[in-house]
Amino acid sequence: MRFRPREDFEHSLESGYRLLPFNFTALNKHEYVATNQAGQYVIVDRATLEDLVRHKLHYRSDAYSSFKSAHFLIDADSDVALDLLALKVRTKNERYANFTGLHIFVASLRCEHACPYCQVSRQSDDRVAFDMSRETADRALGMVFRSPSPAIKIEFQGGEPLLNFALIQYVVERAAALNVSQNRALQFVIATNLAVITDDMLDYCKAKDIYISTSLDGPADLHNRNRPRPGGDSYERTIAGINKVRNILGRDKVSALMTTTQGSLTRVKDIIDEYVRSGFDRIFLRALSPYGFAIKTKSYQAYDVQRWLEFYFEGLEYILQLNRDGLPFAESYAGILLSKMLTPLESGFVDLRSPAGIGIGAIVYNYDGDVYASDEGRMLAEMGDRTFRLGSVHANTWEELMTSDALLDPLETSFADSAPMCSDCAFQPFCGSDPVFHHATQGDFVGHKPTSAFCRRNMAIIRHLMELLRSDDATRRILMNWIAF
Amino acid sequence: MLTLGGESLRFESILDDCAFVTRLSDNKRLPMPLRSSAGFLVKGRSSRALPEGFRVYIFVEDESGAEEPTEGIPTVLLPKDYSYLGDGDIIRIAPHRRGVRVLYRRNARTNGILLTERCNHYCLMCSQPPKDVNDSWIVNQVLEMIPLIDQDAPELVLTGGEPTLLEDDFLRILNACKSWLPRTAIHILSNGRRFADAAFTQRYADVQHPDLMVGIPLYSDLSTNHDYVVQANDAFDETIRGILNLKRLGQRVEIRVVIHKQTYQRLPQLAEFIARNLLFVDHVALMGLEITGFTRFNLSDLWIDPVEYKDELWQAVSHLSSHKMNVSVYNHQLCVLDPRAWEFAKKSISDWKNEYFAECDGCVVRDHCGGFFSSAHLRYSDHIRAIVA
Amino acid sequence: MLEQSPSDKQGNNTCELSFSNGVYSLGTIKKAAYRFTDRCCFDFRVTEDGATLAVLSFSPDVTPDEKAALQTEFRNEVLDQDLREVIGAETAGVRNAVLAYAFSQTGLQGGDAV
Repeated sequence: MRFRPREDFEHSLESGYRLLPFNFTALNKHEYVATNQAGQYVIVDRATLEDLVRHKLHYRSDAYSSFKSAHFLIDADSDVALDLLALKVRTKNERYANFTGLHIFVASLRCEHACPYCQVSRQSDDRVAFDMSRETADRALGMVFRSPSPAIKIEFQGGEPLLNFALIQYVVERAAALNVSQNRALQFVIATNLAVITDDMLDYCKAKDIYISTSLDGPADLHNRNRPRPGGDSYERTIAGINKVRNILGRDKVSALMTTTQGSLTRVKDIIDEYVRSGFDRIFLRALSPYGFAIKTKSYQAYDVQRWLEFYFEGLEYILQLNRDGLPFAESYAGILLSKMLTPLESGFVDLRSPAGIGIGAIVYNYDGDVYASDEGRMLAEMGDRTFRLGSVHANTWEELMTSDALLDPLETSFADSAPMCSDCAFQPFCGSDPVFHHATQGDFVGHKPTSAFCRRNMAIIRHLMELLRSDDATRRILMNWIAF
Repeated sequence: MLTLGGESLRFESILDDCAFVTRLSDNKRLPMPLRSSAGFLVKGRSSRALPEGFRVYIFVEDESGAEEPTEGIPTVLLPKDYSYLGDGDIIRIAPHRRGVRVLYRRNARTNGILLTERCNHYCLMCSQPPKDVNDSWIVNQVLEMIPLIDQDAPELVLTGGEPTLLEDDFLRILNACKSWLPRTAIHILSNGRRFADAAFTQRYADVQHPDLMVGIPLYSDLSTNHDYVVQANDAFDETIRGILNLKRLGQRVEIRVVIHKQTYQRLPQLAEFIARNLLFVDHVALMGLEITGFTRFNLSDLWIDPVEYKDELWQAVSHLSSHKMNVSVYNHQLCVLDPRAWEFAKKSISDWKNEYFAECDGCVVRDHCGGFFSSAHLRYSDHIRAIVA
Repeated sequence: MLEQSPSDKQGNNTCELSFSNGVYSLGTIKKAAYRFTDRCCFDFRVTEDGATLAVLSFSPDVTPDEKAALQTEFRNEVLDQDLREVIGAETAGVRNAVLAYAFSQTGLQGGDAV
């Protein structure tokens, strides 16, 4: 028996190492985050970072081991790092071949609510003017199945889409018929305020396995103030609707989204409690979007990013405490970011992608057949800005829409890897570009990242999550449960 | 610890000069056509007449003594150590050394089948030290044995040495398993390096076996550490390439890690490495050290009381499980593990070498605990204690 | 943390920071400056002895402490950008190879089909 000593296997390390591509950004006053193309990250102090780059690290040091293991450097002993790095980047980007998974049908612009932050909606009974027709729906469905994505989600929005329920039924049936030969994984969602849902509609949804997404802004007083309707009973109808959906369709067939307003900022715990009481196991703490009536009524300018971050972090800590007390409950935005930080897996979220999710992540067919690159793009059009209108199902082919300048220009221009600050940023693999947001708030697709609310918000949340992940094992395990594996 | 074989046993009237494989039966009404290849098993003294026409008769001694052989009837006499033998077991009889080897036991939780003792690694803790000999006769024996194994055998473990060194014969054996034992899961233990060759991996995949998994060891997230433990340069790179090729073709892969003094420190980092780079593997097994083979020779470089790496082991388990990977802890006693790891601990030690010690008396979780390797009496944790509450 | 160089000048709402030309490229300095454009304005000049001068203009409500902190941060960011330039130069080839593989049909090394 002859066993070679460890040193015998380290000879090739003496010739030094080569760097693998990475970015770095400050995490806090003393430390940096270094990230490679696959989104794997290492937290390190500046001196060690400098040593790494200047090829001063010794192969027996912990820093060398960390960087080698995480694919920040490569040496003569092993080159499978290149295969693994390339495979990880490939996995992260695989979805682009299967573009446009989410197709939004605006069934009707009519709505009986009058939410101040709403971007669209007409309080009107004029069906002809504001409802999607069957002809429009047919043409839109033709576009839907041109998308190569093996999984297709059709989401009905509005206004209040239930006000044109017949059209929803028509689309569901036509889509299923078309899908017989296409064999995609087809899913339907109705985004509704639930105020006008009937038992017949619920029976239909049950038969066709349709999911419900509704709005729940918080406890009754907050919700009703945000979402006025004749009778002032939006909250009561929403809760009643949620229970009905659960009873008839199933416990997990309804999800809720909240909208944050000035009034929400001091009430994050109440809002979360409302979600817990209503039987949800997660909440998406959203920022206020700067579109539509929100800008008109100045609700967007009413608070700045810092104030919103305080709201968000207070909510996040409260949710962590709920978990520590034994209730599994997730914050969805954190879950999306964590998924990008810790795995190569892709969530369905279209608003945090580079290239942006406009058109290639989600696409919108308006009630009149106009096609928009995103729901926010539609909202801007309602305010007179048609930058993100790609064309019309009545006038353009699918190819024309998907190769239009209206789509390709913002996709290309906003691509994070070419944008100032983004191209250097260690958080780029976790972040995205949002050309619609930057166009609306700053006047161009790329935006000015040093003053961008989008950038500030995401950097703050990512840094915070990184600190939480390394704080203690229990917190880390809670956070990892929020990733949709 | 069971005695699975021996030499210089008592043979009477055995006229074969070559070794042969036979399946045991205790059924004295076994149909005549089947008797000529089977071995009739008798335990203790039998007052009844022996059925005629079997290829060989196996008499095993028990408290009442042993049957006496009849003149002219080929017989092997085995001491009490072999009293575990039963109907359906398969043994090899080697007349020139008067040797017997038990190859397959119907009642075993799992059966390991050695395919070769040759290996291209020389692991510090190897439990089956390699021999550079031409042992291709083993392939023939295995091919002879496979049709004799119960069709409802749940699992076979194909081991070595390094099974893939057999090249075409390795694939022949897999095909034989598929043909004769289509319902039996096959678990292959291999260092995976041969699969770095995409063409070989394709041929492996082409077997299209219904239930196949390769268990491949990975000892570190760093190439130099892994190569040192397995004592072979370039092992890390080829092993990983092998894993990638196998997964590209949709083959099931398990990663196995033996934990000892040379591998425990970076166990959490290895878990991170696996979660980042090999998230798609089907199972990860974190295993305790067996004090046998090379381990005994390298004990001072390898032995560490498992209690001392309790934290690293839990961190690794926690990391992998929170990435929703399948992870198991093998060959560790519950009292040396972080309690949060208990749900991942499996009873994994082959029954023939599985024991408990005096310290275990009265332990309330003994039935859930995997116990020890028989070889552990040479060295085991100083912290073994019965859990009473 | 760097201290101010002797050739820095302080004005009322402006200050000038000098960077040796042979050490930091103009691109490095500009990229660093971009990150601070939410807090001050920049102008650039080249001096007679070939140094690059960055002129920072602050709004009147910026305190002297804030100005000092900004200048230190800016200088450190220039160092960081310089480091990024080194990394970028050394890793450009691998970066492109990895991206090419990510969007291709063939293997990265050895041409194994995926």
